[in-house]
Amino acid sequence: MIVEMKNIYKSFGKNQVLKDVSITINGGEICALIGENGAGKSTLMNILGGVLPADSGTIYLDGKPVRFANPAESLRAGIAFIHQELNLINDLPVYENMFLGREIRSRWGRLDLETMEEKTADIFRRMNIELDPRAMVRDLDASYKQIVEICRAIMMDASVIIMDEPTTSLTEPEIRRVFQMMETLRDQGVGIIFISHKLNEVMDICERYMVLRDGELVAEGDVAAVTTDDLARFMVGHDVRTEQLTREVRIGEEVLRVENLNHRTAFRGINFSVRRGEILGFTGLLGDGRSELFQAIFGADEVLSGRVWLDGQEVKIHSTEHALELGIGYLPRNRKENAIIKDMNILENASIVTWPLFAKRGVIDINRQEGLFTEQIDRLGIRLQRITDSINTLSGGNQQKVVLAKWLAARPKVLILDNPTQGVDVGAKEEIYDIILDLAEQGLAIIVLSSEAQEIIRLCDRALVMYQGHIQGEVSGGTMNEHDIMRLATGGVLSAS
Amino acid sequence: MKVMETGEKTGFVGRLRLRWANDSHFGTVLVLLGLIILQTLVLGFDYDSVGQWFSAWGRNWINILRNNAGVGIIALGMTFVIITGGIDLSVGSTLVAIGAASMMMLDIGPKGFLGNLGITGLPAYVLTVIFAMLMGLVLGALTGLLITKGRIAPFVATLGTMKILRSVTQHFMQGYNPRVPREFLQLANLQVGGLMFMPIIYWLAIALILIYVSQRTVWGRQVIAVGSNERAAQLSGVNVNRVKVGAYTLTGVLVGIASIIQVARIGTMDFANAGSGYEMDAIAAAVVGGTSMRGGRGTIFGTVLGMLIIAVMNNLLNLFGVPPFLREAAKGVIVIASVLFQRKESA
Repeated sequence: MIVEMKNIYKSFGKNQVLKDVSITINGGEICALIGENGAGKSTLMNILGGVLPADSGTIYLDGKPVRFANPAESLRAGIAFIHQELNLINDLPVYENMFLGREIRSRWGRLDLETMEEKTADIFRRMNIELDPRAMVRDLDASYKQIVEICRAIMMDASVIIMDEPTTSLTEPEIRRVFQMMETLRDQGVGIIFISHKLNEVMDICERYMVLRDGELVAEGDVAAVTTDDLARFMVGHDVRTEQLTREVRIGEEVLRVENLNHRTAFRGINFSVRRGEILGFTGLLGDGRSELFQAIFGADEVLSGRVWLDGQEVKIHSTEHALELGIGYLPRNRKENAIIKDMNILENASIVTWPLFAKRGVIDINRQEGLFTEQIDRLGIRLQRITDSINTLSGGNQQKVVLAKWLAARPKVLILDNPTQGVDVGAKEEIYDIILDLAEQGLAIIVLSSEAQEIIRLCDRALVMYQGHIQGEVSGGTMNEHDIMRLATGGVLSAS
Repeated sequence: MKVMETGEKTGFVGRLRLRWANDSHFGTVLVLLGLIILQTLVLGFDYDSVGQWFSAWGRNWINILRNNAGVGIIALGMTFVIITGGIDLSVGSTLVAIGAASMMMLDIGPKGFLGNLGITGLPAYVLTVIFAMLMGLVLGALTGLLITKGRIAPFVATLGTMKILRSVTQHFMQGYNPRVPREFLQLANLQVGGLMFMPIIYWLAIALILIYVSQRTVWGRQVIAVGSNERAAQLSGVNVNRVKVGAYTLTGVLVGIASIIQVARIGTMDFANAGSGYEMDAIAAAVVGGTSMRGGRGTIFGTVLGMLIIAVMNNLLNLFGVPPFLREAAKGVIVIASVLFQRKESA
């Protein structure tokens, strides 16, 4: 089957997410769909999978125009969408999962378990998979769960399968297993759309590639004709580097040092240090483990092993309260979930961190908190009516500044900023950059976590790039560029230069 | 609650007006006033002898308040617990357990603990009161630890302690009826001008202290933060577990006080039934007073109002001659109605 999507447009409010995108997927090929976060990959595939309607444009199956109102219709037409979060029920055996929602029933509505089990075994045999249909899904490793999902799609006679980052949570041998399965399917004439951030895998398994950037299809072609470097360049675009921010750099003694820090799942073998007056960047793709790393350093999560030094003294941080006392500040990502307390007013949101620091016998020193915040209002240029208004009355940018204010008032030695410009408009973004530079000039050690390469390049003195929970490499100084960062972030290495 | 107001502090009247304008209790106060007016009308205003009428009205009120002081005190702690996003079902059983233990200490019979140590009179009473509060503190802290360190859902953990405390108390108190010294009863029954209002004073004093604690102390505000957004509170350096354990511990201490009041009022306790249903009454008072079961929202003052609304309603039903079995239904109606009412208000 040949799937064509022609002239697809889609916008969410004012935000144009897809602009005139046309793609073709043929049966019997594996086609990579790549692009940075927010490039429009998911939206495009959600349209194909019947999850979202397109604003305009048409989908053709073997030349015939079709319209999908919901995922079920798309599936009936032969298009299966395997989401990143798998859709399996842990407490049911494999064969029952294969027939979820379309169980085979015998007379009187009784479930016909025998037939379901047989049919599952059939599929596995056809696909050359060694798996007991009666195994509980809970006991399967991540790759077999993926495989069960794929087999389910096969059983529904899917002729095109969309796989959204199927390998993110898999280990190397597991990835091999899934790839084998994909190759078997391809040889049987199924078309596969493989969404991935890992360019090496794209080179490995795909015949063709399609690159989305800012909602437009910017490149497509045969994988054999390009290198991972080319793909990385397509993803970020040509030299989009803008003016470098400047400041008086005075780097002092080491403040925070981390040695061989390991987590149960999210990260491993982390080593780095940051000095006074330095801005250190941490970047990578979604799910690279950097947020988990710094939440653990901040005492909000447990680490398995490793050592942390602050001002040359080894510390064991057991809670966020302890981290705060030691002089570590952490501005979290996802402001709404992790930072804003919606039932409290602006002043309270801006002073929660400093309540215990300036309390007299457990009683909040309101005048002092007001004074501290008033200072920050001027310094950060926070626009508000009254400090006793609800925090919900502020715009995203101003809320972010309030969150920043609560940490500045605590005067930390190290300030960790996780996605500091998330969801703020361009103007506020530049203002926040200025604040960060100013703080570094005053001798604060600053760590900026961001998935925007531009932000890292413009702000940081050097940056560590993470990939699947470990530090893949370092970029620094004037030679930092998006290309190198993307390369490291997708698991590549930099050639020595 | 608008705690840290700035600007517009134009004297007492100005502050009062500001408060009035954006006070979430406005509706609750109106409902309470309406009920009180209704109640007054039902009692019948007597133009001929205002003095006599007023003293009857006052007596009725002192009765209402005194009868609800125990639950009222427990509801104050329950409010903190609910604001953190938790619940404490064990307050009634804890009350019985502490009551039993306190009575054993005070017993003037041969098995009396303090009596056997030779401690009687005022020192014994003081020791008993301290003991009751300490026992509440320990039980509350243990509950808090079960919930935080043990990671058991508050509903389940306190359902467990509720069953344990009640049954163990009943088992050990079989066939044992401690006798409490008469003097001890003065704690609750002291008469001033023929009126008994000691429990009301305890309730009022504790409420005032806790209003201050909730609005002005680090812990009081952290309770709100934890209930509203636990993760954000944690990432702001709040020790979430300690805040939660604090709420259950405070509730335990308050149950200890309520238990002493209960013992001191009648000098005896029905270990099978005393305090049962208190958890629901305390929760109802908090909810009627505007505390959200989802956490993050609620005030001590609101809970006092909520308790009063339920109490006046009870009194009214009594005056109207509604059969006793139906009165619980009325309570249920109030709880549901008040939540519906508040939802509209906050939307």
